[in-house]
Amino acid sequence: MKSETAKNPPLSSATLNILLALAGGNLHGYGIIKEVARNSDGHYRLGPGTLYDNLKKLMDSGLVSDAPPSSSSKRRSVTTKEDDRRFYTLTKEGKDALAAEVDRLQTVVTQARSRLREARVGRA
Amino acid sequence: MNSMVSRFAYRLLLRLHPVSFQDEFGAEMLWIFDEEHQQAGVAPLLLDGAISLLRQRCRIQSDPGQLSITSGTIITGPGLGPLRLLQGGITFSLIFVSLIQLLSHPNLFTVSVRWADRVPCYTLTLQAPSHAEVVLETTP
Repeated sequence: MKSETAKNPPLSSATLNILLALAGGNLHGYGIIKEVARNSDGHYRLGPGTLYDNLKKLMDSGLVSDAPPSSSSKRRSVTTKEDDRRFYTLTKEGKDALAAEVDRLQTVVTQARSRLREARVGRA
Repeated sequence: MNSMVSRFAYRLLLRLHPVSFQDEFGAEMLWIFDEEHQQAGVAPLLLDGAISLLRQRCRIQSDPGQLSITSGTIITGPGLGPLRLLQGGITFSLIFVSLIQLLSHPNLFTVSVRWADRVPCYTLTLQAPSHAEVVLETTP
């Protein structure tokens, strides 16, 4: 467990949301912002500074890389001149990191449910 | 804030980023600013840009300072040169203006106190005009 955590440390909220957006397909920067907003029903909006700051870190660590524009991404286009934009894709390491984070969150949710159940039983 | 002035301020913020970062992402960030500033508001975007600038500058603190001024690159030595002071002054002013704009928004702060396991938790919610929320929680 510890070695797994050292290999894939917990992700920040912005990083998790960017990786989740890219898990659905290759996107350009503005596409990521739109996808993150859509996934959170508009409650979480990334600013361009936060987005590219995190994208740079993710690219430096090999979790995200450049991708050619795909047809599926074009279908989800939000602006014109899509072809000129730089697209990003999840690497295999990125998918592994996202899967590890989802597993970690799953454990947190399981523990939280268990604690809440105990608290309810204690009160009753 | 006037659209042209805000765009100029954002471009200035981008110019203050490390050269490699601007070359790689500057054009895209400006494009997103143009697309988003009507919907999200200028102040949150300026604040976001200023925070990004601080992060990038902190990250390259150990490297020799590289400042990008309008059309070229100036290599500076360690310490506080006049350019770096000017850079800091402009950045601070932009952050200050952005904060004033954010704070002038009605219903910005919501403060609530709740009890969790007999320990009071103070929850401060910062509601920005763009519906972004920053929640700070403290347990004394």
